[in-house]
Amino acid sequence: MQKLVIIGAGMATGRMLEHLFEAAPDAYEVTVFNAEPRGNYNRIMLSPVLSGEKSYEEIVTHDDAWYADNRVTCRFGEPVVGIDRAARMVRTETDEVAYDKLVLGTGSAPFIIPVPGRDLPGVVAYRDLDDTNAMISASEAAGARAVVIGGGLLGLEAAAGLRLRGMEVTVIHLAGHLMERQLDPAAGYLLQKDLESRGITMLTGASTKAILGHDRAEAVLLEDGTTIGADLVVMAVGIRPETRLATDTGLEVARGVEVDARMRTSDPAIHAVGECVEFDGQLFGLVAPLYDQAKVLADTLMEREGDGFAARQLSTKLKVTGCDLFSAGDFADGPGREDIVFRDPARGIYKRLVIEDDRLVGAVMYGDTADGNWFFGLIKDGTDISQMRETLIFGPAYQGGSAADPLAAVAALPPEAEVCGCNGVCKGQIVEAIADGAGDLGQIKAKTKASASCGSCTGLVEQILACELGDDFQMPSSQPVCGCTDLTHEDVRRLIKARELKSQPAVWQELGWTTPNGCHVCRPAVNFYLLADWPLDYDDDPQSRFVNERNHANIQKDGTYSVMPRMWGGLTNAEELRAIADAAEKYGGELKVTGGQRIDILGVKKEDLPDIWADLNAVGMVSGHAYTKGLRTVKSCVGTDWCRFGTQDSTGLAVKLEKRLWGSWTPHKVKLGVSGCPRNCAEATCKDVGVICVDSGYQIGVGGAAGMDLKEIQRLHEAKTEEETVEWIVAFVQLYRENAKYLDRPYKWIAKVGLDWVIETLSVDAGRAGLVERFDLSQSVYQKDPWAERATPETKRHYEPLADLTLEAAE
Amino acid sequence: MSWTDIGPLEDIPLRGARRIKTRAGCVAVFRTGEAEVFATSNTCAHLGGPLNEGIVHGRQVTCPLHNWVYDLETGEARGEDARIATYPVRVENGRVLIDAQALIAADAA
Amino acid sequence: METAFDTPLPIERSARTFIEVAEIWVPENGRLVMSSGAYGTLDGFADVSSAESFAKGEGLPGRAWAEARPVVLTQFDGTGFKRTEAAREAGLTSAVAVPLFAGATLKAVLVVLCADSDGRTGAIEVWAETDGILCLDNGYYGAAVQFGEVSRRTSFARGQGLPGGVWSSRTPMLLRDLGSGHGFVRGESAGAAGLTTGLGLPVPVPGGKNYVLTLLSAPGTPLARRFEIWDARAARVGHERAAKLVDGICDREGPLWDPENAGRERRVNAWQGTVGQVLGTGLPVVESGTDAAGYASMVALPIHRGGELAHIVAWYF
Repeated sequence: MQKLVIIGAGMATGRMLEHLFEAAPDAYEVTVFNAEPRGNYNRIMLSPVLSGEKSYEEIVTHDDAWYADNRVTCRFGEPVVGIDRAARMVRTETDEVAYDKLVLGTGSAPFIIPVPGRDLPGVVAYRDLDDTNAMISASEAAGARAVVIGGGLLGLEAAAGLRLRGMEVTVIHLAGHLMERQLDPAAGYLLQKDLESRGITMLTGASTKAILGHDRAEAVLLEDGTTIGADLVVMAVGIRPETRLATDTGLEVARGVEVDARMRTSDPAIHAVGECVEFDGQLFGLVAPLYDQAKVLADTLMEREGDGFAARQLSTKLKVTGCDLFSAGDFADGPGREDIVFRDPARGIYKRLVIEDDRLVGAVMYGDTADGNWFFGLIKDGTDISQMRETLIFGPAYQGGSAADPLAAVAALPPEAEVCGCNGVCKGQIVEAIADGAGDLGQIKAKTKASASCGSCTGLVEQILACELGDDFQMPSSQPVCGCTDLTHEDVRRLIKARELKSQPAVWQELGWTTPNGCHVCRPAVNFYLLADWPLDYDDDPQSRFVNERNHANIQKDGTYSVMPRMWGGLTNAEELRAIADAAEKYGGELKVTGGQRIDILGVKKEDLPDIWADLNAVGMVSGHAYTKGLRTVKSCVGTDWCRFGTQDSTGLAVKLEKRLWGSWTPHKVKLGVSGCPRNCAEATCKDVGVICVDSGYQIGVGGAAGMDLKEIQRLHEAKTEEETVEWIVAFVQLYRENAKYLDRPYKWIAKVGLDWVIETLSVDAGRAGLVERFDLSQSVYQKDPWAERATPETKRHYEPLADLTLEAAE
Repeated sequence: MSWTDIGPLEDIPLRGARRIKTRAGCVAVFRTGEAEVFATSNTCAHLGGPLNEGIVHGRQVTCPLHNWVYDLETGEARGEDARIATYPVRVENGRVLIDAQALIAADAA
Repeated sequence: METAFDTPLPIERSARTFIEVAEIWVPENGRLVMSSGAYGTLDGFADVSSAESFAKGEGLPGRAWAEARPVVLTQFDGTGFKRTEAAREAGLTSAVAVPLFAGATLKAVLVVLCADSDGRTGAIEVWAETDGILCLDNGYYGAAVQFGEVSRRTSFARGQGLPGGVWSSRTPMLLRDLGSGHGFVRGESAGAAGLTTGLGLPVPVPGGKNYVLTLLSAPGTPLARRFEIWDARAARVGHERAAKLVDGICDREGPLWDPENAGRERRVNAWQGTVGQVLGTGLPVVESGTDAAGYASMVALPIHRGGELAHIVAWYF
């Protein structure tokens, strides 16, 4: 009988043996080596073993009796250390065994990221039963902490299992959202929310710098300096084929051991199967193709004809109880692809289909995976779906079902969600009022006071009426933000607050956006709302900003930029002017004095921006934010210092206001003026906020404009002191930041909510103090010179072209 | 095809773009998903706005100057009778590759 | 109930089970009446019970209904339990009642009764949330006195342990090796008491309070010899009324789950077998004899979520 030697008792070789013994039980005398001291078990079920939801005994695929029945010589716990191809022998530390046919089933090795401390005890990979048992032991100490590096399938299953075992668990993930290979940001957001609700801490966009500890792992240090205590560190960043034996013996190895469609390596006596192989440039980590390979290899060993191995589409499911996630096929790049997105915020459902040439090529589902296998079948079979395209996403059971419910986001609001911020009215109270007979907006206002003040929640109240009363309520039509949603700006703002939505994917998902990631209309608005409401939780997204705010300079019609440094209150000095003059010469810029008492350098090339900023920074000048929806300028007159009419130090106050307000983002640009007397040389009366100094104090006016609309400011308050003036203005700006629609200047916003409401709100001492406090909190994050942050070599690189191919030789 | 490496994928921000200089003029390379990239002419067919500075959404970009929206797969401008050149581009091992031959062809054309 | 012994039983035929009696009470004209029950050889108690009915607030089932929460009685005197005399004659000493709600509607009350605890190990526990932590509301532990003491001092955060896992996933769970790991004194103590398998299920009640019921089983005096968890959510099985066996283990058949995680779980449609009956009616069932998959008796409970029948758990003993 021929001698068949197998290296590795894994799922692929195990399945191959099953086929072999079934068809030709006497063809070979089989010896199986395994580095692990045990036979074949169902590795894909290790995660439930880790969590305690399966026992090891349950996942054993081949027990001792099976090997004995099939007369397999088991050499478990004996790693093979070498292969002598000429002699057809495999070598262990102590023995040599001859083969006629050899099968490599060495599987894969975990990828260990090369950071200091990776060899410390307490750092484990997550690959086999021994790793699993090591993790279980680590969880036995009360209050033990685990850090899982890697937020892919395996890492998340490890995290959920360790949490169930009672550990404090943190997941560190490099990409911006979980499982980025399979999921898009919205599905990643749902998954993250689900796992966080189990008490697991998620850090995305986080990079590991080192594992700290003396005798064993004690903490993980991130690139940003954060340290996370850890008694156990699990590396789950990926796997690579285990090819050392194959390489050493001179087989052809690329990333994996190269095989043909019959699972033959470059040596006719040696075959390979499973995670260690590379076929047609591809590697394999999921079980379905491994089983296909096993079948092919069994045929090859029996010298039977049969279909060769062909890679096929794959599906994955996350094995975390209660997380319903299904992903199949391919979402990667390719021309001609189209997305179909379905979201049901009320039920936490997200589905996305990717279609190419009338065929389904990819599907992701979260929260509702019922149709997963049906979609997977369409992908595998390459079914022409042109006839069912419109209703495809509703699945096979589609019976004239309807599209996403535009009221779903409102239906999903919990009763305790605050709908009217002015009067503290929750959804539950409005629903109750409707149950008690309130049938229109007026009755709701009368009964609950909801929408009775600033009115920005009117749309939401109407939608609640529509939800509760159905066809009995006629929804007034309102202008949605854009084609991505049926909600208005005001609705979106209220819902971001009421539902504590703190990321863009959260907004897209929970408010039922119909596009994968918004459009140029909604993205900047949502980005602003999030950063204004959650300055500490939300990270500003440059890709959701218009070009000027992203590049921190104003793009001109010829593609060059203008650069305008800040001059506090319009004050400057000889050194600054010299620096501006030098910069203009050096970078070929033209100079213009602006209406806001600044000097603009026009015509600067994008790649020169970081350099010109560095030059201006060198004399202490910072960005003038002439390009932002934010504080622009505070104009002043010369005030009491020089002017014979001046009643107060208007220049000093202008500088104070500018120093306090600069760097803040607002719904639209904000310009201020401070005039030292009613002669109004600073033209304060047509500014968003204007101060006119008088003998008795400071008259604060708001809502002026001098653009398409010409508006004079209206009186907000008369302050006695500078401090009081600054406090009122800061509070006003914050009220505007928290409530206005994106791209509404203050005068437009005031027209909607009413000046009376603004005055009333700001007149409450505690309310005003709260606004100032929230403004200052936001400034702790955003009051930074964007130029200084970007005038670095690393950033400069990003202002240059990614590549210059003009120098490449033509071929 | 002649695939030319133009840089690491991570240098293009997600839902952002970078520009490359070629003999056929500036080309914008867009990253619409974790590993999904497209390349088109960087010049808006309307008034020449730099498309690499636009907001990238879905598989589209909006020109920063006057909000023309382009389909990145076809180069067609939405609602306009205009089209910009597109170029084959792909991601391999974290690097972005562009088809240099297509660029040369465009140069010659 | 001699028939129970005629069925092809089994493994450890002499072993005594932890639960002696299981019964289902359903509301009918404002009172709870007997729907089905498994009484083993306790015919006397069966007779008394079948003649009984309970108003809201009356007796143990009525109390679980009125208070909208599971109720554990570790003794009967002074608790308002109505069948004390018959229970004493049958040797029953403790009882647990679990109300089964769909939204605000009471569908049924499950009552299980246990006999004198001498030598019988197991646990039936009710966990209740207070301020973001699950604490033991009450539990019956039989001879596992020490374990009961430890449990009373244990609490669980979201996602931790069987109770915390069930709470945060809103899904029934079946744990296999309670004795090892689990980062708690309780794990060690469970091992000492011989408790290995644990079934946890959410007990949804009107008003949004969170309760979790856990049944812990020891091999010597098993609470059950077969456990099943079925997923019946439309989000998992589609719109036809069906359920998939997502987890389970059986002394005889071994693992009952899909080994390849590929969506090929066993499936039943409404009205097909006992689980199908629960699926069809939305009501729990207690069966003895031939419908109990070769075991003496079985209990199958529907678990609702947001008005929808979401899961079915079944155990056979």
